[in-house]
Amino acid sequence: MSIFAYIGRRLLLILPQIVGIVLVSFMLVKTIPGDPAVLMLGPTANPESLAALRKEMGLNESIPMQFWIYLKNLSKGDLGTSWQTTRPVLEDLLTRFPATLELVSFGLLTAILIGLPLGLVSAFRPRSWLARVADFYSLATGSLPDFWLALVLIYVFYTLLGVAPAPLGRLDMAILPPTQITGFYTLDSLFAGDWEAFKASVSHLVLPVLALGLINAGPIFKMTQSTVERMLQSDFSRYEMLCGMPHGLVLRHALRNSLPSILTIISVLYGFLIGGAVLIEIVFSWGGAGQYAVQGVLNSDLYPVLGFVLFSAIFSLFVYLIVDLIYFAIDPRLSH
Amino acid sequence: MNAIVSSEMLVPAQSVAPALSVRDLRVEFPTAMGAPTVAIKNLSFDIEPGTILGLVGESGAGKTTLARSILNLPPMPGRITNGEVWFEGTDLRRLPEEEQRERRGRDLSIVVPNPRGELNPLITVGDQIATRAQVHLRIDKKAAQARALEMLQKVQIPDPKRRMNAYAHELSGGMAQRVVIAMSLVCSPRFVISDDATSGLDVTVQAQILKLMRDLAFEQQSAMLFITRDVGITAHFCDRVAVMYSGEIMEIASREDLFLDPQHPYTVMLMAAFSHNAKLRSQWRAPDESRENATPSVGCSYASRCPKAQSICHVEHPELLERRPGHVVRCHFPVERT
Repeated sequence: MSIFAYIGRRLLLILPQIVGIVLVSFMLVKTIPGDPAVLMLGPTANPESLAALRKEMGLNESIPMQFWIYLKNLSKGDLGTSWQTTRPVLEDLLTRFPATLELVSFGLLTAILIGLPLGLVSAFRPRSWLARVADFYSLATGSLPDFWLALVLIYVFYTLLGVAPAPLGRLDMAILPPTQITGFYTLDSLFAGDWEAFKASVSHLVLPVLALGLINAGPIFKMTQSTVERMLQSDFSRYEMLCGMPHGLVLRHALRNSLPSILTIISVLYGFLIGGAVLIEIVFSWGGAGQYAVQGVLNSDLYPVLGFVLFSAIFSLFVYLIVDLIYFAIDPRLSH
Repeated sequence: MNAIVSSEMLVPAQSVAPALSVRDLRVEFPTAMGAPTVAIKNLSFDIEPGTILGLVGESGAGKTTLARSILNLPPMPGRITNGEVWFEGTDLRRLPEEEQRERRGRDLSIVVPNPRGELNPLITVGDQIATRAQVHLRIDKKAAQARALEMLQKVQIPDPKRRMNAYAHELSGGMAQRVVIAMSLVCSPRFVISDDATSGLDVTVQAQILKLMRDLAFEQQSAMLFITRDVGITAHFCDRVAVMYSGEIMEIASREDLFLDPQHPYTVMLMAAFSHNAKLRSQWRAPDESRENATPSVGCSYASRCPKAQSICHVEHPELLERRPGHVVRCHFPVERT
């Protein structure tokens, strides 16, 4: 099968997958108790205005009808309006989603930079002191919540040492965000040549990224260590050693053969962290998409929740597609 | 004239120095509790340059452990606790680790069974052969590729140019075995171990591969240790044959001596199993499995299965005795020729 046919088929599948995901989350959100009209107008609202608002929001329609209307609007690029921010959900998400994505991407990158080398060393020298430390470390990351670590980091680096900026958003109050191109402040400020904004965005990223990276390095370490170790014990690695191949080469080949498993865990983490980093977002007042969605759930604000689900579903599906393409490139057994 | 032989006397006096001599090699596997299992029990043998020593034994006799221990990489978690492996005047095990690694695959190489599992599934076979040449012969990539192609031609793979770009999963078992042979011989090693390399193949393919290995070994004047479970193969293939049981050598002789005048009961039993003579087969039938469990701590390790065993066999461990020049047997009651 040619690679293009494969991509085409996958892209075709994405649309029904997304409709399915939206349907399920629509039903779930609808089952949350609470009348949005009451929440919007407050407890003192009179019945007439409540009824009028319900009619305006389409709350009197049957649920399948409401879903149909939502889909129709969606096809026009209208994700609805959040009553909390009173802005279109699309607009909100276009600023908030990149905020989360920037945080999560750098966090994951940090996790890879910690977990992968540690896993390699532990697989190759399972009895070394570094391997023992790494083992203990991965155990610790499995049992510590990320927001707790974030609070510790804030306490040490902001409260005690005063080297980190206050955990209040992505930039200092006095600095204007750069013109949005990617939505990543670090990149946008570089494009704009705004050094102040760049420095501010990096310094605000350090602690939350560290908290995410340190915790999520655990699973990446564990996966790398166990698969590389298994590959090193496999027949072909042993045969390479019997043939006198240098250790570096044997290890490199073992890593290459382990990449599919390691990539899988990384891609799963990536998709999961879009919503999973919400506690970090709250601790650092990040103003990201996860925070936005949680607010939506708590306040029966339907459209932000659905919008978030939609965005992260599309994101995850693309991440998985890219990972599958990398499998294709690595493993000739798939592409032949 | 039965004399106890020391390890130095195992091979008939000859002017040629052996290509490889193993002395008192002992390999142990730690057990969860108590004494370790001894897989190789102070084993010694020599192989002359340009000759093939066959090593026969059932599975579990320690053949693979021996093969890998010669390269100082015993199967995990085994440990070599004693012994020397002399190759062309150097004790390999005393060399620094890096030098040992350089010699593996270049001077001494091994052909392994289950070749498809031994090939890296993600790298083309051409690249895998070429890498070995590149590492050991210090030649550039292009020369290594040319050499790999030449090797594939030598092992008579059909359409070698195309096979250079094939992956392990695209090869049949026979072809993969040829690739592994090409890989082992690409650096023209002076000593080759074949560890049951043809066991998984069809009989016809097996014959081709055996011939191929012998021709290549002859062409490169390599010595060879040919490990197999099939006594029949050694009759056609080897200059001398050693019979191994439970980590010990029970009998070594030239091919002719061993097949015309087998003296150890275990050797006789192995040959009877392949014999066309029904009477011989029933007379030397393999005993019940249940008798196998009683492994003596002293005495002969074959005693519990031996149809000729007497009381002394269970209490006194027999030494290797040179019964005739070049024919060495470890038995209290060797079988007389009838």
